Amino acid sequence: MAHSELILTNVTKRFGGLTAVDALSMTVAPGQIYGVIGPNGAGKTTVFNCITGIYKSEEGSVNWRGEEIRGLTPYQIVDRGIVRTFQTIRLFSQMSVAENVMSGRHIKSSQRWWHGICPTPGSRRDEKEHWTKVGELLEFFNLEEFAATPTASLPYGHQRRVEMARALAVDPTLLILDEPAAGLNDRETAELVETIFSIREKGITVLLIEHDMELVMKVTDYLTVINFGKKIAEGTPEEVQKNPLVIEAYLGSEDDDDE
Amino acid sequence: MKNLTVTVVSIFLVVMAILPHFLDARWQTVAVTFLIFSVVALSQDIVLGKAGMFNMGQAMFFGMGAYITAILNYHYDWPILATIPVAIIVPVLFGILLAAPIVHLRGDYLLVVTIGFNIVFVQVLINNLGGVTGGPNGIFGIDPMRLLGFELSSQLAIYYFAFIVLLLTLGIMFNLEKSKVGRALHYLREDPLAAESIGINTRLYKIFAFGLGAGLAGLAGTVFATQYSAVSPEAFEFIQSVLFFSIVLVGGSSIPGVILGVFVMFVVPEIFREFATWRFFVFGFAMIIMMILRPRGIWPATFGKIPKFLIKDTKHGA
Amino acid sequence: METFLQQLANGLTIGSMFALVALGYTMVYGVMRLINFAHGDMVAAAAFVGLTVYTQVMGQATSLFAVVAIFLLTAGLMACVGVILERVAYRPLRTAPRLSAVVSALGASLVIQNGIMLIWGPRMRIFPELVPQQFWNFGGVVISLIQVLILVISLVLMVALYLFIEKTRMGAAIRASSIDQDAARLMGINVNSIIALIFIIGSSLGAIGGLFIGLYYRGITFNMGWQYGLYAFIAAILGGIGNIPGAMLGGMLLGLFSAFISGYVSSTWADAFTFMLLIFILIVRPTGLLGERVAEKV
Repeated sequence: MAHSELILTNVTKRFGGLTAVDALSMTVAPGQIYGVIGPNGAGKTTVFNCITGIYKSEEGSVNWRGEEIRGLTPYQIVDRGIVRTFQTIRLFSQMSVAENVMSGRHIKSSQRWWHGICPTPGSRRDEKEHWTKVGELLEFFNLEEFAATPTASLPYGHQRRVEMARALAVDPTLLILDEPAAGLNDRETAELVETIFSIREKGITVLLIEHDMELVMKVTDYLTVINFGKKIAEGTPEEVQKNPLVIEAYLGSEDDDDE
Repeated sequence: MKNLTVTVVSIFLVVMAILPHFLDARWQTVAVTFLIFSVVALSQDIVLGKAGMFNMGQAMFFGMGAYITAILNYHYDWPILATIPVAIIVPVLFGILLAAPIVHLRGDYLLVVTIGFNIVFVQVLINNLGGVTGGPNGIFGIDPMRLLGFELSSQLAIYYFAFIVLLLTLGIMFNLEKSKVGRALHYLREDPLAAESIGINTRLYKIFAFGLGAGLAGLAGTVFATQYSAVSPEAFEFIQSVLFFSIVLVGGSSIPGVILGVFVMFVVPEIFREFATWRFFVFGFAMIIMMILRPRGIWPATFGKIPKFLIKDTKHGA
Repeated sequence: METFLQQLANGLTIGSMFALVALGYTMVYGVMRLINFAHGDMVAAAAFVGLTVYTQVMGQATSLFAVVAIFLLTAGLMACVGVILERVAYRPLRTAPRLSAVVSALGASLVIQNGIMLIWGPRMRIFPELVPQQFWNFGGVVISLIQVLILVISLVLMVALYLFIEKTRMGAAIRASSIDQDAARLMGINVNSIIALIFIIGSSLGAIGGLFIGLYYRGITFNMGWQYGLYAFIAAILGGIGNIPGAMLGGMLLGLFSAFISGYVSSTWADAFTFMLLIFILIVRPTGLLGERVAEKV
C-alpha cells in the first residue's frame, strides 16, 4: 500500500450517545480527486475534523503516508502537508487578503520567535520571499487587486477563493475542501472546477465534500458515499450513480431534511 | 493610516526627546511616570491588543520587575544595571509558567484568573514572604543607577533611561508587525481555530505573548523602582491592572491610541490636581461614553503591514 | 470539633451572602455574556443607601417594621439604579465588540465606587445595629441572631428565585433568552424587558446582600465592592457562570472554604488560597462545577 496517501480504517467518532462516524474506512491515492458525499448530517464534516485533528476519533486509525496521525493537533497535521478549508468560511476577517494568504506561509517560514523582537538580514529575506509567494498565489486566484482589502468586505465567492489561496499557501500534499461550491453562483462554480483541476496538476491530492452532485460527478475520480456515519457505497462516479443504496439515501433525504 | 501612525509616532518621539529640558522638576517626574506607564501599557497591548487575551494582571509583572530590582539592590547590594536582566527574565519565566496552564481558558475565565494572580502577588508582597519584600511598607532607599562611574540620580537622567526603554519597546512592537510571530498573534486573536488549522501552534504563541509582555513590564518596573528609590505593594494592585487593561481598549490597541490613553489617564489628572477626588469618577464616565461613541477605541489598530509591491489597485486599499 | 462547627456556621453565613451577590453576576452573564463589574459596587452602594435610609427616612428606628422597610426601600432603589445602569452603560453596547462592554462595565464600576466616595466620604462608616445583638452558645459554638437571619432569609430568597425561574412563564422567558437571545426574540419574547428584569432581580438581591454585609461586618467602605464582588464572582464561576443553582452552590462552597481557611490556616492568606482554588477548579473543570460543556461547532 506504499502508493496510498491517506488510509482511514474503522474510524469511529461519537458525541455522547450519537455515533457521528461509524467504522468508516477509505483510501485516498496520490494525485486523486476524491469525493465524500452524503445527505445532510451524514457525518461528512466530522470525518474531515477527525482527519485534520480538530476532533480525535475514539476508535480506528488515520494513517498518512505510513504514519499514524490520529491524536495529533491540527497544526501538527498541517505540518505534515494536510490542509483544509471550512464549510462556513473561516478567514481572519479584519485582516487583508494578502495577510490571510500569508498565514498559510507560516509553517514554511524559517523565522524563529526572536526574530519578532530583533530582525536579522536572514529574517528580512525570509519575509520578502514569502510575500513574493503570496503575490504569486494572489495572481493564481485572480485576487491581486484585493491584496490590501479586509476579507470581511469581499463578496462571498471571493472569500472562498481567498480561503483556497490560504490553504494552497501551505504547499500542501493533500488539500481538503469542505463544500467549496456552497454559496457560489454558476459562473463561480465553473471557475472552481477549473481551479480544482489546476490544483491537481500541481501534484496535490484533493479530498472534497460536496453537495453539488453535478460538480462531484464532473471533478472526482473516486467517491465514498456515507449516510448516518456509515459508508454505503464507493467507486467511480459512474458506479456510484447507479448504486440503488445511494439513490435511496438521497431520495429519502429529500423528504426528511431538505436543505 | 499606517503612514499616519509612523508620522505621529516620529513627531511624538522627537518631542519627547527634547521635552524634559523645558519642564520643571515636578513635571519632569510626571513625564518619567508617563514614559514608564506607556511601556507597561504597550506591554499589555501585546497580550490584550495583539494576541487578544483578556489579561487583567499586567501590574503583577510590572511589580515583579520593580521588586526584583529593589530586593537585589537593597538586600544584596547589586548595582541597578546588573538587576536589569533578572528583572526581565524572572517576569518572563513567571509569565510563561503562569500562562501555560491557563491560555486555553475562555476570555472571561482568563480575565478572572489573571486578576487572581495579581491579587495573590500583592498578598505575597504584603505578607512579606521570605522576609525580603518589606511587607505593606515596601522597600525604601534603593541606590541610583551608576553608569561608567557617573551617578544617574537626577530626574533628567532617569527620564532618558525611561525614554530608551520606551524606544526599545516601540522598536519591538514595530518589528513584531513585520514578522511571522507578530502575524501569528493577529491570526490567533481573529480566529484561533482557523489559525490552528493553517499550521499555527496557537498555544505556543499565546504563551510567547505573555512572556514578552511580562518581560517588558518587568523592565519598566526597574525604571519605576529607580525613579522613586522605593517600591511598595499598592503601586501594583489590581486596580492598576484594570487601568492598563482599560487604556489599551479605550486607546484602540494601536501605539498612538495606547500612548494617548496613558496620557489621559496619568498626565491629565496632574493638570487638574485640585479635582483629584473626582479623578476616577470622571474617568469612569469617560470610559462608558468613549466605548459607546467609539467601541473600537480612540485610534483603532489596523493590522500588520503588507509590502507595497502587493498593492496593485489603491482604491481598494485599507 | 468546636472550631469546625464554628467555622461551619460562619462559612454558611458568609456563603449565603456570596451566593446572593453571585446571583446578580450569573444572571447578567447568562443573558448578556457580560461580566457586570459594577455589580460589586452596587452591593457596596446598597449598604450606604441602607445607612442613609435608616438615618434620614426611618429616623433611626429599629422596629421590625422599620427594618423591613429599610430592606425593601434599599432593594427598590438599587433595582432602579440597576435598570438605569443597564440603560446607560450596557444597552448601547449590545452589538459592539465584547471587550467594549467590558470596558464600559469597568467604567460604571469606577463611577459607582467613586460616586459613593464623593457622597459618603472616603472613610469607613459604621452600619447601624438593626438587629438585636443576641447570641446562643452551643457548647462553645457561638451563633448570633444575625447569622441565623442571614442564612434563613438568603435561603428563602434563593428558593423563591429558583421557583420563579423554573416554574413561571417569565422564568421560562429568562431561560430562553439565556440560551439564545435571537431565537427568544423571534419567539416574541421582549429581550429588552427580560434584561431589565434581570437587572431588577440581580440588583435587589445584591442590595440585600450588601445590607447583610453591613449587618454582619459593621464597617463599610466605599471600595469594599471589589472585594466582595470579586468573591461573589468567583463563586459564580465555581458553580458555572450563567447557571443559577451553580451560583448558590458556588457561594456556599466559597463561604465555607474561606471560613475554614481563616479558621485553620491563616486569614492573611485567605485571598491567595481562594484564588488558588479558583485556578485549580478552572484548570480541572473549565466550565465550573455545574456548568455545561459546550463543544465548538466547526
